Amino acid sequence: MNNYIVRRIAQAIPLLFVISIVSFTLIKLAPGDPVLSFVTPNMGAEDVERIRQNLGLDQPMYVQYVVWLKNVLSGDLGYSLVNHRPVAEMIVERLPATFGLMGASLLLSLLISIPLSMIAGSRQNSLFDRGLSLISYIGISIPSFWFGMMLIYFFAVELHWLPSMGMRTVGMDSAWDIIKHGILPCTVLTFMNVSVYMRYIRSNTISQLEEDYVQIQYAYGATKGTVLLRHVLKNVLLPVITILGMSLPELIAGAFITESVFSWPGMGSLGISAVHGLDYPIIMGITMMSSVLLVVGNLVADILYGVVDPRIKTTG
Amino acid sequence: MKSKKMWLSLMLVLVVAIMSACGSSGDGRSSSSNTAENTATTDDGQPKDGGSIIIAVQDDPKVMNPIYAGDRVTLTIDQSLYAPLFNVNDGKKTYVLAESDSFSDDHLTYTLKLKDGLKWHDGQPLTADDIVFTMDSILDEKQHSSSRSQYVFDGKPVKVTKVDDLTVEFKLPEVSAAFEGALVSFSPVPKHIFEGEADIEKSDKNNNPIGSGPFKFKEYRPGEYVTLERFDDYFAGKAHLDSVTYRVAKDPNAANLALQNGEIQMRMVDTQDYNKLNDTGKFNMLTYPEGRLQYMVFNLNVPSMQKKEVRQAIAYALDKNELITASYSSADFAEPAPSILTPDTLYQTDDVEKYDYNVEKAKQLLADAGVSNLKLRLAYTNTNKPQTSQALYIQQKLKDVGIEVELLPMDGTAYGNRTLDMNNTDFELSFGGYIMGYEPDAYKSLFLSDAAYNYSHYKNADFDKLWNEAAVQIDETKRGDLYKQIQQTVANEMTVYPIAYTKAVVAVDNTYGGVEDANPKPVVMLEDLSKIYKK
Repeated sequence: MNNYIVRRIAQAIPLLFVISIVSFTLIKLAPGDPVLSFVTPNMGAEDVERIRQNLGLDQPMYVQYVVWLKNVLSGDLGYSLVNHRPVAEMIVERLPATFGLMGASLLLSLLISIPLSMIAGSRQNSLFDRGLSLISYIGISIPSFWFGMMLIYFFAVELHWLPSMGMRTVGMDSAWDIIKHGILPCTVLTFMNVSVYMRYIRSNTISQLEEDYVQIQYAYGATKGTVLLRHVLKNVLLPVITILGMSLPELIAGAFITESVFSWPGMGSLGISAVHGLDYPIIMGITMMSSVLLVVGNLVADILYGVVDPRIKTTG
Repeated sequence: MKSKKMWLSLMLVLVVAIMSACGSSGDGRSSSSNTAENTATTDDGQPKDGGSIIIAVQDDPKVMNPIYAGDRVTLTIDQSLYAPLFNVNDGKKTYVLAESDSFSDDHLTYTLKLKDGLKWHDGQPLTADDIVFTMDSILDEKQHSSSRSQYVFDGKPVKVTKVDDLTVEFKLPEVSAAFEGALVSFSPVPKHIFEGEADIEKSDKNNNPIGSGPFKFKEYRPGEYVTLERFDDYFAGKAHLDSVTYRVAKDPNAANLALQNGEIQMRMVDTQDYNKLNDTGKFNMLTYPEGRLQYMVFNLNVPSMQKKEVRQAIAYALDKNELITASYSSADFAEPAPSILTPDTLYQTDDVEKYDYNVEKAKQLLADAGVSNLKLRLAYTNTNKPQTSQALYIQQKLKDVGIEVELLPMDGTAYGNRTLDMNNTDFELSFGGYIMGYEPDAYKSLFLSDAAYNYSHYKNADFDKLWNEAAVQIDETKRGDLYKQIQQTVANEMTVYPIAYTKAVVAVDNTYGGVEDANPKPVVMLEDLSKIYKK
């Protein structure tokens, strides 16, 4: 097992390396010049050149990449071009907000989608099943920013039940206040996730129910509930783990938009500002962090796979 | 502020900022308050003290240090955090930190006296040393301040020396009528905090700024908000509010909802949202000139645009009032612009050729120029609604005089890069917008032959000479004449077609008073938040 993990990590290193080259190249090829975002018409050409040199942007692209890589390997993600603060510091201060929101919505998504879709799958084509399918389609189809806006309109503006934006009331620092602010963005993310997970789990439940081992349990006189809980659940969890590993990037992307709509102070908000300002050290920082998360997420998924189903070998 | 492209707008805003000042008091400003302004006060008629206000901003501030501030958000926050030496509104100077200023007879020495008893937010006295330190930091190339070139004349920097604790002297290497205008954007930073700092831009001390304005820094939560609290020792009197919070609201639609919901109480809004918010009856809708010109530019790099008659024909073929109604829904939000200088700019004049709508004349000019079946390309930013409407209108209208217009909507960044390319021949027509402040010299970076922002690529040595002469002309009458000639030259040559002087709309919850006294101002919304009070 340990060997397996070491090998997987060793495989991930060249992968991350390639991702960094590709991302760096893409950012550099994007139209626009980061220096121009803070240049004013009454700045002289020498001033612009001085700023460009100061930021190292006058160097050829490969030199800039090598400098960036060297710094990253020594644990320095560089300085934001726009905010002039250390990138690592800026990302770290945003992590709790993003992880809190993503973690809560992930947990809720699983708690909601697993039981509901297993029931739906076991009662194929019932009213309940069709209703859930419809909701799931809606969830997949509607844009998250629109759904977010609707929630704000009804629950914040019309009903005054919940705050519409931010992570806390100005000057307040209570957990309950943060939870209240998180309810609407978390609802958006959860709804989106549940819609995706439900389709996988439902169809998987249906195929499991057709397996011989289920028929045998029935033959022994087991009730549907027992079969679902004791036998099918375990087999249904397997693909869920894979989906979770794979859906990490989607989760992050979804969080980008949702964070922006709700002004949630996470990495998504930071990322969008960085893209607008072509602040490449931050874009690279977030990209690399997401990539590492993805690699780790998949690794954990594979290991968990082995735990849930020991038939799958993780030693080879 | 989306015009040419995102960054361009930004940098123009910057300039504004830098030149700041654009006056907005007085004419042209309207306020459709649902309650009479300044009526809700305490029984003795005085504004009440206490309370707080939450103002929406679109993003996090950058470096909270005025020697680097250039973007709208940082400038807005700095407005309350750092006091300037003086403000200029509609050509009238109001001293803030400064008590007086004067030029020597040869106009090479500028003496500035500070008020007595000024204090930094940490209680230390604000003196001439701070002014000298700030100016030296701006001029120090190692500190990469973006304002440096404003104080460098023909390669030589201005020299600043302390005369006594309250007096500083600036020695100019050559006469510059624009120097005083540049000082409008000068806000000192404390020497005792930053002295010895190798790289002020990256200094941690910027995260806990010590300023001299009516509000002092209290808390910054990245991605969430910046809170300032009242500075009790402010020399011009304590502010009414206990605190001001600038809250990051990224999404404009969500921010409007938060405004209606009462979670934020003030925000600069798009004119399209004016009616929606005004109809709620909850807001004082401040509408005031933004000191901004929206224009169309002719690209003289393309041969078909090099004939003056063709450019003039296009101007005659457009009905400016219709164009404005089509793009801003109402003339309330934009007035027809005759000149390239905005009305708040010194020496602005309406005495220029106005090209009143005249199809026959347009056709005649085209015939005179021997041009027929002209096909033009018009580029604009695809996310900018007024520009999109203007493009469609122009396409329609030019058809009447036999000119076919192909529309080229572009991504903001790509658009900005193309327009800045000095050899660009990708399109004949394009749109832009700028806010340059009250000093007309600032505009020359858009018009001189070799200027980086000379979008029309019009090159004329005599025209350049006018700009350069005006920059050093001290006699106001002569200077005014020069700028009049400049405005008339652009109108006659029709290298830039001025469309409108646009207005800004700021919605303020009408439970707040003192808004007019706070002086609505381009870019930063209100000049002096200390005047705002909770009714």
